Amino acid sequence: MKNLFKFFIALITASFLSFPTIAKPIELHYWHGHTGKLEAIINEIADRWNASQDESVLIPTSKGSYEDILAAFIAAYRAGEHPHMVQVYDAGAAIMVAQVKNGVVYPFEDMAAEYGVDFNKDDYIPGIRNFYADSDGKMIGIPFNSSTCLMYANMDILEAAGVEVPKTYEEFEQIAPKILEAGYTPLLQSHSPWIWTENFFSRHNLLMTDGNNGYDDVPTTTLFADTPEFITHWTKVKEWKDKGWYDYKGRAWGDNQAPFIAGEAAFWLGSAASFSGMKGVVPNFTVNHIPYWDSITGGKEYPTFIGGAANWILSGKSDEEYAALMKLAEFMTSPEQQLFYHNMSGYAAVTYSATDLANEIGFYEASPYHKAVGEQLSLTGSTIPGGYRAGNWPQIREVLYENYPKMLNGEISIEEGMKRMDEGASKLLAQFAKTL
Amino acid sequence: MKRVQFSSYFTQYFFIAPQLAIILIFLYLPIVQTFRDAFTIQDAFGFGRYFSGLDNFTFVLSDPNYITALKFTLIFIFVITLFSCSIGLLLAVQANNVIHGKSAYKTLLIWPYAIAPAVVGVTANYFFSERLGILYNFFNGLWGFDWYDNVYDAYIYVFIAASWKQISANFIFFLAGLQNIQKSIIEASIIDCKSSFRRFWTITFPLLMPTTFFLIIINITYSFFDTLGIIDTTTIGAPSGETKTLVYKAYIDGFKGLDLGSAGAQSIIMMLIVLVITVFQFRFIEGKIHYN
Repeated sequence: MKNLFKFFIALITASFLSFPTIAKPIELHYWHGHTGKLEAIINEIADRWNASQDESVLIPTSKGSYEDILAAFIAAYRAGEHPHMVQVYDAGAAIMVAQVKNGVVYPFEDMAAEYGVDFNKDDYIPGIRNFYADSDGKMIGIPFNSSTCLMYANMDILEAAGVEVPKTYEEFEQIAPKILEAGYTPLLQSHSPWIWTENFFSRHNLLMTDGNNGYDDVPTTTLFADTPEFITHWTKVKEWKDKGWYDYKGRAWGDNQAPFIAGEAAFWLGSAASFSGMKGVVPNFTVNHIPYWDSITGGKEYPTFIGGAANWILSGKSDEEYAALMKLAEFMTSPEQQLFYHNMSGYAAVTYSATDLANEIGFYEASPYHKAVGEQLSLTGSTIPGGYRAGNWPQIREVLYENYPKMLNGEISIEEGMKRMDEGASKLLAQFAKTL
Repeated sequence: MKRVQFSSYFTQYFFIAPQLAIILIFLYLPIVQTFRDAFTIQDAFGFGRYFSGLDNFTFVLSDPNYITALKFTLIFIFVITLFSCSIGLLLAVQANNVIHGKSAYKTLLIWPYAIAPAVVGVTANYFFSERLGILYNFFNGLWGFDWYDNVYDAYIYVFIAASWKQISANFIFFLAGLQNIQKSIIEASIIDCKSSFRRFWTITFPLLMPTTFFLIIINITYSFFDTLGIIDTTTIGAPSGETKTLVYKAYIDGFKGLDLGSAGAQSIIMMLIVLVITVFQFRFIEGKIHYN
């Protein structure tokens, strides 16, 4: 008995001692905010990377939603347990770029200069590159899952109503009564702050905050009430809702998408990435550019802001780990991997070499759905910055969420709602400015 | 009587050390941290921290949405406590009278107690979903129920979700309370009074007062603090922030919005509210309760 015990002790000790002698690959921890199908795609990318080389192992962990992941990684950072790479979404970009000076975030461009082999900044599509860059254009985050808002159309319903996919909101107003008459809901959308606020401004080449959208100066207020075009848009939205042309199902993304999936709604405004979940579920749908007001832009079409998220490298890791991370970044942005990701998820390809490859193999002829996102993001002619740098933006989105329903159900006027949103936002912007 | 004493201080401290450590780490440290956050401005990562006096408090209290949340929380506490206590009491009295299959009824009524608030919320979601919801369609047929748009409908939704879970907790305690009442008192009252309704209000209910008082405190704490998961999985504050409780707002500002200063200030305000409620209860209500 005693001998057996000694034997086990020896065995355990031996196993501990022998650990360092095995050459272990570098573990790269990656926290992301994707679940369901999109998480499976990230796991597939990790598997491909891990199979392609044996120097490092990518370990992706889903932390829930984009908001959850930001909170989780900040808590981990404060405890000194942060991962190597973290996915942070568009609304968190201001926070991440501001953290470069505190040494939390390791700018991608610096890492590429230090460890990169053949890093070509100009290969990244400018709209995508600049959104996650600082005011000098230095790339801070690595563009990864880049979406934007698009319009999904149910072609069976359009055929039943005898109408075409509209390019502008004016055209939508023409056809909406016919769709309603045919017994369908004309329009739904899933994210009022993102689609009908932030991207309303970019789609119509209008500034959303002072300080040139925060690119030149720290913004102090949003320009909702000062933008007559924006007031007109929401006045129209309320009219549509009263007429039954637009239906609002609360703020939950899925509740607004459900009627489209069930084949009860003609149009749904959502994310480019919604494609992966609807492919094969909704019969006969197309993916189109989001409409714009012809009367505002004078017939010109402007790009929308990029949505989705970027990957950010965190500081405090070793040289070997950064070298491995740089190789991983090169792998993830390689044309082949991007095309795989583009195809599976619906997110845009972020480099020209990837879109070139797609064109070369005739990808868009085979799958026209994938065309809209890249096209809409690559539109040119905007005079406003390709993004916004406004702190506390997640809470400002809350303020918007709280005011839109009141405006839609007539509790307050559109003008009053806009004023309240500006007031709420300025207070939050001032609160954030104090921390800079 | 001989007093039992430890021979040295070391032994007693040794034995209470684990408990003290837990209290210090999980109760006092966070409280100190909360006070630190509430009186400082800092970014989410803890950089740029500086003392800001009452700035965070004025920021919170000047927010109209905070006042909305405060009002809703008070209504919420009152309604949840009233509903879940009275229904729990009603069920307990009925179950106490049942002779056959008593334990089966009891078990069935106790079950929901074991369900986590977030799961309760997700379940309620099914009942109130526009596409699948039985209750949504039932109420919608009655008066055009639509919690996406109407504040009172949204109230009904969260009230039902939040009190449903708590009914079973109240049921258990009331049932235990009822079974503790001496049979002789009940028998004597049956001889004195024929009306079971009157018997209940003059004899049984006063004897249940200690239980009721205890449950009121439990229910207030529950509706104040434990319903975060329910709000987050049901209305998310719909239609426009009217169904956010104070705890939910602190959670949104602190964890989603990453504004620790504001969240800290909100926590301290909540601490004060709970303090006032508790003092009020013990001073003015407990005096009227007889424990024997």
